Amino acid sequence: MQRVITVSLNRNAYHLELDAHARLEAYLARAAARLEAYPDRMEVIADLEQAVADQCARRLQPGQTVITLAELAPALEEIGEVEVPGAPGPLPSDDPGAAYRATPSPENALQQISEGAWVSGVCNGLARSSGLDVTLLRVIAVVLLVFTGGAMMLLYAVLMLLIPYAPLASNAAPLPWLPAKSREIVTAIRSKLATLTG
Amino acid sequence: MSTDTLKFAPIRKGLLEFLVLRIVGSECVYVPEILRRLASTQFATQEGTLYPLLSKLRRDALVQYEWRESESGPPRKYYRLTDAGRAYLASLNDYWSQINRTIEDLGRPPCSE
Repeated sequence: MQRVITVSLNRNAYHLELDAHARLEAYLARAAARLEAYPDRMEVIADLEQAVADQCARRLQPGQTVITLAELAPALEEIGEVEVPGAPGPLPSDDPGAAYRATPSPENALQQISEGAWVSGVCNGLARSSGLDVTLLRVIAVVLLVFTGGAMMLLYAVLMLLIPYAPLASNAAPLPWLPAKSREIVTAIRSKLATLTG
Repeated sequence: MSTDTLKFAPIRKGLLEFLVLRIVGSECVYVPEILRRLASTQFATQEGTLYPLLSKLRRDALVQYEWRESESGPPRKYYRLTDAGRAYLASLNDYWSQINRTIEDLGRPPCSE
């Protein structure tokens, strides 16, 4: 069973599965970033939203009401990345948190983000919800680690246990060893705690 | 895409606006129709490129659009040239034939030594 998110594309409601929603959100965030200095950006984004809606609607099977990645991915492929006329177009950064931060939404709640994480995704998640650069936060964390020794490690461990994990995108590449292991350990400890207290 | 078509990408990019103006000048069109007409040419493009371009042309007051009902889904934007757009397209057409003549002329008589 997949949870479904309802979004408004150019003021019409569409249902998307979670992973399709994440992909669309990232696409629109990239479009918005490229159009940042563009006077009519809201209008262009409305046009693009309509294009996404049309392309997905065309791909839905009769009776199918939820858009999945199977419809969304080829739709976005056909629409293509936004290119601003006359400008070579700033490329979106490789920072995996950027797509999240570019769309301020209630989903900016503090979560650990495993994709692109170094250890467990605490800094990655703090970066998303605070809007600060993830590299800056990591530098601060490492400096604190050097100067406070165990205290910073303890703080990280506590945050790791307390902050919930953001759901993984189902189409994402497998996590590197350390984030995968951290996630596994934290999840195991949490379920242990839950059985102990529950 | 072959290396040749990649190499000529700046030329295509520079001419896309001209071609879009020509298409919009020939009839009142909506975006899927523009894409369809370009699709079989060297200038095949995508909505991600076309919408920002049309929006720029509209801001430059060269094209305008009107909403038309569609049989399926919400109303569509149909684009056409403004008077300024028609004048601009005419001067572009002129300029383009001048360029063509220049290119032809410069290459024609093989240099005699």
